[in-house]
Amino acid sequence: MALKRDLYKALEDVVGPENISEAPVILNSYAQRGRPRFEAVTLPHTTAEVQAIVRLCNRFGVQFKASSSGWGAYGDAGGPGVVKLDLRRMNRILEINEKNMYVVVEPYVIYAQLQAELMKRGLNCNITGAGSNCSALPLAAHQGIGHLSVSGSYGERNQLALEWVTPEGDIVRAGSLGLIGQWWCGDGPGPSLRGIIRGNVMPLGGLGVYTRAAQKIYHWPGPATFPIEGVSPYYRPGRIPPGFMIRYISFPSPEKLNQAAQKVGESEIGFILMGFNPGMISANIATNNNEDLAYMKQFTDSVQGPGFLIIMAGNSPNDTEYKRKTLQKIMEDFNGKPLEAVEDPENAGGFMWRFIRVTSSIREVARASGIFAGEVGGTDVFYLMHQYILRSAPVKQRYIDEGKLLADGTDPFVQSVEHGHAGHAELLIRFNKQDPESMKVAAEIGRFANKTAVEGHFGVPGHVWGDAAHDQYGPHTSDYHLWLRKFKKTFDPKGASESTNYITADD
Amino acid sequence: MIAEDKLLKLVGAGNLDREPAALEEYSRDMSFVNAIKPGCVVRPRNTADIEKIVKLANETLTPLVPVSSGPPHFRGDTVPGIGGAVIVDLSGMKKIIRVDRANRVAMFEPGVTFSELIPAVAREGLRLNMPLLPRRSKSVAGSLLEREPVVMPKYHWDIGDPLACVEVIFGTGDMFRTGAAAGPGTLEEQWDAGGAQKEAAGPSAFSLYRVIQGAQGTMGIVTWASVRCELIPALEEPFLIGFSKLDKILEMVHWLIRLRLVNECFVLNKAGLAAIMAKKWPGDYREIKDILPPWVLFFNIAGYEYLAAERVSGQVADMTEVAQRVGLEPVRAIGEIPASEVLKTAQRPSGEPYWKLRNQGACHDIFFLTIYDNLPGIIDVMFDEAHAMGYPTSEMGIYLQPIVQGTNCHVEFNLFYEPENQGETARIKELSDRAVTSLMAEGAFFSRPYGTSARTIINRDAATVAALKKVKSVLDPGHIMNPGKLCF
Amino acid sequence: MALEDYRSDMEMCCRCSICKFVPLEKLKEMRHSYVCPSIARYNYHTYSGGGRMGMGIAMLEKELEYDARLLDVVYNCQMCGACDISCKYAMDMEVLEPINEIRIKCVEDGHTVPALDKVINSLRKQGTMIAGSKDERGRWSEGLDVKDIAAQKAKVVYHAGCRVCYDEDAWQAARASVKLLKKAGVDVAIAGKNESCCGGRAYQMGYREDFLNQAKKNMELIKKSGAEILVTGCADCYHAFKVLYDKFDLKGDLEVLHVTEYLARLIAGGRLKPTRKVNIEVTYHDPCHLGRLGEPYIHWEGKPVPGHIRIFDPPKEFRRGTYGVYEPPRDVLRSVPGLKLVEMDRIKEYAWCCGAGGGVKETNPDFAAWTAAERIAEAESTGAGAIVTACPGCERNLKDAVRENGSTLRVYDIVELLEKAI
Repeated sequence: MALKRDLYKALEDVVGPENISEAPVILNSYAQRGRPRFEAVTLPHTTAEVQAIVRLCNRFGVQFKASSSGWGAYGDAGGPGVVKLDLRRMNRILEINEKNMYVVVEPYVIYAQLQAELMKRGLNCNITGAGSNCSALPLAAHQGIGHLSVSGSYGERNQLALEWVTPEGDIVRAGSLGLIGQWWCGDGPGPSLRGIIRGNVMPLGGLGVYTRAAQKIYHWPGPATFPIEGVSPYYRPGRIPPGFMIRYISFPSPEKLNQAAQKVGESEIGFILMGFNPGMISANIATNNNEDLAYMKQFTDSVQGPGFLIIMAGNSPNDTEYKRKTLQKIMEDFNGKPLEAVEDPENAGGFMWRFIRVTSSIREVARASGIFAGEVGGTDVFYLMHQYILRSAPVKQRYIDEGKLLADGTDPFVQSVEHGHAGHAELLIRFNKQDPESMKVAAEIGRFANKTAVEGHFGVPGHVWGDAAHDQYGPHTSDYHLWLRKFKKTFDPKGASESTNYITADD
Repeated sequence: MIAEDKLLKLVGAGNLDREPAALEEYSRDMSFVNAIKPGCVVRPRNTADIEKIVKLANETLTPLVPVSSGPPHFRGDTVPGIGGAVIVDLSGMKKIIRVDRANRVAMFEPGVTFSELIPAVAREGLRLNMPLLPRRSKSVAGSLLEREPVVMPKYHWDIGDPLACVEVIFGTGDMFRTGAAAGPGTLEEQWDAGGAQKEAAGPSAFSLYRVIQGAQGTMGIVTWASVRCELIPALEEPFLIGFSKLDKILEMVHWLIRLRLVNECFVLNKAGLAAIMAKKWPGDYREIKDILPPWVLFFNIAGYEYLAAERVSGQVADMTEVAQRVGLEPVRAIGEIPASEVLKTAQRPSGEPYWKLRNQGACHDIFFLTIYDNLPGIIDVMFDEAHAMGYPTSEMGIYLQPIVQGTNCHVEFNLFYEPENQGETARIKELSDRAVTSLMAEGAFFSRPYGTSARTIINRDAATVAALKKVKSVLDPGHIMNPGKLCF
Repeated sequence: MALEDYRSDMEMCCRCSICKFVPLEKLKEMRHSYVCPSIARYNYHTYSGGGRMGMGIAMLEKELEYDARLLDVVYNCQMCGACDISCKYAMDMEVLEPINEIRIKCVEDGHTVPALDKVINSLRKQGTMIAGSKDERGRWSEGLDVKDIAAQKAKVVYHAGCRVCYDEDAWQAARASVKLLKKAGVDVAIAGKNESCCGGRAYQMGYREDFLNQAKKNMELIKKSGAEILVTGCADCYHAFKVLYDKFDLKGDLEVLHVTEYLARLIAGGRLKPTRKVNIEVTYHDPCHLGRLGEPYIHWEGKPVPGHIRIFDPPKEFRRGTYGVYEPPRDVLRSVPGLKLVEMDRIKEYAWCCGAGGGVKETNPDFAAWTAAERIAEAESTGAGAIVTACPGCERNLKDAVRENGSTLRVYDIVELLEKAI
């Protein structure tokens, strides 16, 4: 279904002929295999252009969907009749305010770029766990929880002021931006519109377009540039900067891990705390899949149970020493055992930088088979999130035993947020996407995950999106789906913002 | 107007007030909003009562004004905006529902005050990140819903902190629980699973607690709240730094928070600190004020379970290095005021009478958010306005509270005045109205607009107003919740 | 191999976009963070390595027709391989190979662009991919006292390449190369007017058969000469002889060296002694086909192992740019007394392309110029007064950009600077 010519012409007038295309070869690349194609792809450069596109879509009764780095499948069209806004021409860092610890970006700044610029100034940012190849807009990622979240929080809570082109094409500048034109507060006057534009997950394209946003940034005690040497893929620092330390610690049981993670949180020593399992550690360090399998066996044999990776970064020698000693005590108190391969000087620096720059999530999720799935918990107290995913471990094991999934262990991947005040957990599965039985497993694990969350009272997981899922959870969860639907209808009366992965206004 | 006989039947005679004297108490407060008498005051006992009250109010479109703190009130948000309103006074709902050490969270009803909650959480080794010297009758839930600034910026990750979840009856009469509390499951089922109603965001793709905060009761009535708690330190070392100019103080504040060296951290001018610390009036106040430098920074370094002494001594050393670099001298006492006493004071609610009223009997606060960069200009502007209106700046209290881990700074000008002096009262009101506009031009963000200038402030941003009205149309389509406040 | 043989590689693409950027571990600042000129210029995801993977699958499935836009995407790519290297930091999949196969498929299906047809005609008729006649090919070596490979046997044959032969600006470096080799006692010959194009760029453009014809012709000449070593100063030719000829089992035992590799060896062995000071601050541009694409070809034949992780039997080793020729040119530069080398942000395996490759200079001179201008600006940002490289093709495009943009940057070949020092 091609766009009406007058709509196409009007869009062309907005962005210029070179910045809109309906050529099949272009449309093809914006859709995952087998998914519907967009009717046209636009490349707006300014908020005004975004607004104009949105208004035109409303006027002509077509839908629109924006994305930045476009990795997630939820950036796809849900069906025909959708115009894509690819925001890659909106790619500037607008402000870095060191004294007041915030930064303002457009959607197609990626986190690697932002972190690099911040590090030069002794600052840092939380990077979404999917990787620093993703958008640095705190509103772009599905959740925005990242490796640094134990000390650097995550998208929902790092968010300050934002500029939002609503589904109807109004521009709302939330917080201090609207009232006084400054970026450092996203809330007020009065109630905060941040409450509508996201929860612990994003509307995934279904509630308009976020064109600029400010976020909190954090202190960086390391060097202006990390001393990385070597040639791809063998990058490692020539030396580990002073004050930095990395350990992978396994515990005899999930309970001991929880307790240790709690104490790490309460003593505020973690810079990065990630409950990776051996499968993820091996994928992280390995430079190819064969190596991955070898490391996986080595690490699995070397750990005593579930574990976490911790990186500490001291702001001073005193701070470094306190953190080191405290971690040692916590390890002793909870029978933690270090995985020597991680702190081996040959490997430590490389691990450290891959986690700080978040470059190897792709290795962890995609290198094996190009696809991954599983369960994504929400954010809630650490213990609950851990327990939720643990429920699925036997299910995963069964499918591994049946040969339908990659045998990469069943330990959940857990994260600490804000020094243990919250947590997040996921179950990752990898499989051959050509194998229809494996694809069925992915769906089955999803169904089990939802059943567990509802019946086990584990909250609303992060992988819940779309009408069917919201309708499944809502009745058990304060009927939130009805409210969400009302807000969708109120802010998007024409249903112009494509919201297959959010919620539609259809009752 | 809501059928009072139905209210009577619902809550009982002891919980419904219609006497003029009782109504008079709620018809005005210490702000400059117009006095408007309510129709009655109802005191619900529980969530079910509140649900029914809201449903009844919807039947007749009777305005409801929720109140959770006891008097005196200062902001005008609990004074009805229109006649015939029903005050829903929650201050009698005083249950402390749960305190959870492991998850560092506590849950309580709206009538619970800081004086009541602090010892309850302390029994579990927990403490609250609280505002500076709230009044005795101040509701904790009320404070959280107002997004009041708190004294430990390190633990203030987000402007909504430390509020976690709430149970709310929206203006529609529907009950909703925010964040993790939403479900699945009842609260008890969630507890059995290991849940703690701690995560504020959600459920899923919205965070409705954020539109309830700052709403001044215009979206619904909160029936309980949970609050993120911190640990009681094993060891604390407080310090004071006095200086004549703000620039070095702010530089010090920036680094103390950025390096996560301190818990409590705030700045007061001499008038403000003297007003807080004076025990006898007016003698103490003047004496203290005379010896204090113009600006005083207070901060506290703390250690916890693991290696508390080593941690504190290391952080004190690091703090000292920062101070030397900035050119300031941290001390344990300034004159007769030891830092330890400031710490003790800051970790409790205000004694009676409320500290802001001790000076001259009344106090009007002008408060807003800004950032360090804007502060010098803002203070200059405020002083200019004060001079223009004949208010002595030496008597003005100034409180600077870094929040959101140093990203924002709450600024509060305390204008002490004699309420019986009509001329002075009028001048304070005029000063407040004038100052709001000039302060905004200097970078003051009135994120919590109250009283007579609220509408002026909020209506400056038409797009936000339009969006907020959409939110209101969903949560309170009947417009019964505290009409006349904000832009509603 | 055909495009179909790379189906499973293309299907591995998960749209992570690292193909657009320098390896993220190396990213130091906002500017100079892109590594793919095509996506940086044209913005649609289709123009990136990942976009091309999706395009390849769709072409195999006959979901796309050969229209102007498809050809625009296909041919607006310098074939620089940066996407391939960035991707392979994290993934086990081929990227550049299927991109090349897409071109080959376009040619086989009869969909080319006139500018490239013109170049191939010149190749077929005159044995050169730079405009010029066969008769003029040897002019660059006039007066040079060197063996003629057609008449005399020699251990080493110096292959000048089309750019050198038909661009007078490139003669000095080539002549200096031969002189320096001779000075070091190397038994070197040239083919002169009997030299023919290596065919490498023809392959990159998709003209596989023409490439193979050239390759066979060249190897016959070399075998006849008895030369054991082929040395060249052109990165494209280097890649052709060392990698592509090997890929098609045509190289045999011939050792292929870039002139900088050979010179570095000679300097290290004391057979060349740079002693004269050359006071200059330079930055070095890694040519794509000498650097990241210059590592040896890895022969492999096997099958995927069934299962949920992409491994092969026997195990497949991917070329990831790790063993490209990065240090020898730098060693040569460092051997020059008085010369100061400052590095750009995008170097070695993640160097930004000069802009000329893959037929882009012919099909879209504006894009080639834009790409080069980016590189010139990056070079200028180092503070160096000159950019030096090791490929006449790069030199030509960078010089053109310097002139068009009014830059004061000087452009050198490494050998020109070394010559000054000896």
